[in-house]
Amino acid sequence: MAAVSYKPYFSAGFKEWLFTTDHKKIGIMYGVTSLIFFLVAGLSALAIRLELYQPGIQFVSEDTYNQALTVHGVLMQFWWAVAIWGSFGNYLLPLMIGARDVAFPRLNALSYWFFFAASVLALLTLLPGNQIRMMWTGYPPFSLNENAGPVAFYALIVHLLGAASLASAINLVVTNLTMRAPGITLKKMNLFLHSFLAMNVIQILGVPALAGAVTMLLMDKYFSTAFFDPTRGGDPLLYQNLFWFYSHPVVYVMILPAFGLISEMIATFSRRELFGRTSMIIAIWGIAILGFMVWIHHMFTSGVPDWIRVLFSYTTVLIGVPTGIKIFNWIFTLYKGSIRFTTPMLYTLSAIFMFLIGGLTGIPLGLPAFDIAVHDSHFVVAHFHYVLGMALTLAVFGGFHYWYPKFTGRMYNETWAKVGLLLVMIGSNLFYFLQFIVGIYGMPRRYADYPAIPEWTRLHELQTVGAFILAFGVLVAVLNLILSLKIGKKAEDNPWQSPSLEWLIPSPPPPHNFDKIPHMPEDWDPYNYDWLEKQHRKQ
Amino acid sequence: MKEVLAYPAQYWHTMYEIWLFISVVIYLVVFLPALYFLIRYRYRRGVNEKAQHVHESKALEVLWTIIPTIVVIYLATQSFAFYRIQRNAPEGAMEVKVTAFMWGWEFEYPNGKKVYSFFNSVVNPETNAYLKPEEVNDMFKAYIPEDTPVKVLLTSRDVIHSFYVQPAKVTEDAVPGRITHMWFQINEPGNYWVFCREYCGTQHSRMAAVLKVVPKEEFNKWLQTN
Repeated sequence: MAAVSYKPYFSAGFKEWLFTTDHKKIGIMYGVTSLIFFLVAGLSALAIRLELYQPGIQFVSEDTYNQALTVHGVLMQFWWAVAIWGSFGNYLLPLMIGARDVAFPRLNALSYWFFFAASVLALLTLLPGNQIRMMWTGYPPFSLNENAGPVAFYALIVHLLGAASLASAINLVVTNLTMRAPGITLKKMNLFLHSFLAMNVIQILGVPALAGAVTMLLMDKYFSTAFFDPTRGGDPLLYQNLFWFYSHPVVYVMILPAFGLISEMIATFSRRELFGRTSMIIAIWGIAILGFMVWIHHMFTSGVPDWIRVLFSYTTVLIGVPTGIKIFNWIFTLYKGSIRFTTPMLYTLSAIFMFLIGGLTGIPLGLPAFDIAVHDSHFVVAHFHYVLGMALTLAVFGGFHYWYPKFTGRMYNETWAKVGLLLVMIGSNLFYFLQFIVGIYGMPRRYADYPAIPEWTRLHELQTVGAFILAFGVLVAVLNLILSLKIGKKAEDNPWQSPSLEWLIPSPPPPHNFDKIPHMPEDWDPYNYDWLEKQHRKQ
Repeated sequence: MKEVLAYPAQYWHTMYEIWLFISVVIYLVVFLPALYFLIRYRYRRGVNEKAQHVHESKALEVLWTIIPTIVVIYLATQSFAFYRIQRNAPEGAMEVKVTAFMWGWEFEYPNGKKVYSFFNSVVNPETNAYLKPEEVNDMFKAYIPEDTPVKVLLTSRDVIHSFYVQPAKVTEDAVPGRITHMWFQINEPGNYWVFCREYCGTQHSRMAAVLKVVPKEEFNKWLQTN
C-alpha cells in the first residue's frame, strides 16, 4: 500500500476524542474503560481472597464481602468479558474487511456513551448507601428484599449495557455483511470475523430476555407488580428462566470472540492456514445455536421437573462436541507448521490448554448425577474461572500483545511480557485448580466464612497465595503494555507478516484507514502466508 | 467404618471416577500430540523456515465429531441412570419437612416434633467463629436415625435457599411457594454438616445446620421427648 505518512489516528485533542465517531477511537475508549474495570474487579477479588484466607471474619464484614462479590461478578462479566469485545470488534472489524468505518458511526458513539453511563452508575453503587449485595444473578425473591440493596441501579445498569450491546451488535453485523471490500467473500472472512458475527447475533437474540427479566424485577420491587413474588402469586423460577435464557448464551458471547482471537494468532504463528477452516466455522454456529438450548443446567437443583433436567443434560454435554472440534483443529494447525514462540503465541497456547481444563470440567456440571453434589459450590466457580478468568483473559491479553503494534505503532517489551504470562499461569493454576478440589470437598459458593475443616482451610490459604501471584502477573503485564507506549521500540507495519487486511496498512492506521478501498485479488486469503511473500518478491 | 458413609453419594463417586478417567484421557489425547507438534515443527533457521501445506482431512474431522458425540451421550445416559436413583427416595423413607428462612432451618418430623437451627447456633458467640459440628448445642441439631433413608420435603419462608447434605452429596433448592424434594441416608453415627448453597444475604455463610445421626432406638427415644 502507499507509503504516504499521516498523523496517527490517536493524535487528537480531548474534544476530538469526546465527540469522535471514529471506530478506532471508540475501540480504544471501550478497551481502556474495560481494562480499568477489570482492575477494579480484580481488586475486589483480592478482598474476597483475603477474607477467605482463614475461616472466620477478619478483613471485611459479611455485607462488604457480599458487595465485593457482586461487584466482582458484574464488572468481570459485563465490563471485561463482554465489553472488551466492543474494543476488539470496533477497532479491528472495519480494518479486516477493508472499510473506512462501521456502518453507523454515530450509533457506534452512542453505544459507547451508553456503556459509559452504565460505568458511572456502576461506580455510584460503590458509595455507602448504594451498595448492591445480591450477586450478579439478582435472584428474586432475595433481590426484592431490603438486604439486597437498591435494585433500581442494577436494572438501569443492565438496560444501559443492553442498549450499548444491541447498538454495537447491530452495527457490527451490518458492517460485516454489507461493507466488506471486493474480494473478501464470506469464504475469505477470517475466523475473527466469523466469531464476531455469531457473537453479535447471540447478543441481538438474547439481550431482550435479560432486559425483560430486570424490568419485571424493577416493577416488582417499586411498582407492586407480582411477577416473581411468591407471596402474591408470582413465580421466582420465571426470573431464573428469563435470566439464564440470556445469561447462558452470553458465555458464548464472551468466549466465541476469544476463539476468534486464538484462531488468528495460532494460524499466524504456525505460518499456515487453519486446519479444518470450514468445520471451525460450522462449529462456531453450532455453539451459537446449541447455546440457546442449555440454560436449564443453571437450574438443575432449582425445583424444575426432573425430565427437563435430564433433557437439558443431553443438550448441555452435546455443546462439548463443536467445542472439541475447535480444539482439535487448533492443535492440528500446529501440524507441519513453522511455529514461532512469540508472546501472543504463548498466550494463545496457554489459553487453549486452560480452556481444555475449563471445558472438561464443564461437562460433569451438565450431568445432574454429578452436579447434584457440586451445584453452587466452588467447583462451579473454578470451572468458569478456567474458562473466563483464564482462557478468555489469556486470549484477550494475547490479543493485546498481538495487535499492540497495530494499535500503537510500538512494540511491547518481549521479556517482561513473558514474565507476566509466567506469573499469571503459575498464580491462576495454583488458585483455580485448588478451587476445584475445595469445591469437591463441598465448599459452597458465596461464603464469607466457613467452618475450620482442615482440608478447606489449607486449600483456601494456597488459593489466596495463588490469587496474589496472579494479581502480580497481571500488574507486570499491564505495566509493560502501558510503559511500552512511551519507551517501546517503533514497530514495523506488519511485524508478524500476516496477510490479514489489517496488517497491510500502516501501523498505527491512518485516520481514514484506507486511501483506496482495497480490491483483494483472487489468490489472496487472510491465511495465505505465501501470498504475502509473493507480494514482497514482486516489489 | 461401613463401606459407604452415606447414600446416594456412591453414585456421585462412580460418576466422578468415570468422568475423571475420560477427562484425563481426553486431556492427554489433545496435549501429547500438541506437545509433539510444538517441538517437532518449531521454527528453526534453515531447517523449518516454512510451513508445509496440509489439506484438510475429512476423515479426521468426522472422527473427532463422532467419537466425542458418543462419549458425551454415554456420559449423559450414565448420569440419567444414576440420577433416577439419586432423585427418588426409596419406599418407606422417613419424611422430614424442612423449611428454610433467613437465616436458619426448621425441621419438622412425622410426629410433629420441630427442631430449629439458626445461623448463630453454629458459631461461638464470643469469637464469632464457626463451631465444630460436635460442639453445636444438641437442641439445635436435627436428629437422624442411622441406616434409614430420609426423604426431605423442602420449602422456604422468604427467599430461595438451598439444602446441601455434605456426606450424601445432594443439593436441592428450597423455593418459596414450591415444595421440592431430595433424599439421603447416613450409615454412620456422628455429626454432619448441612449448608445453604443459594445466596441469601448477610448470614448466608453461617446458614448451616448439624445433622446428628444416632442409632434407631436412640432416635425413637429422642423423637418422643419434647
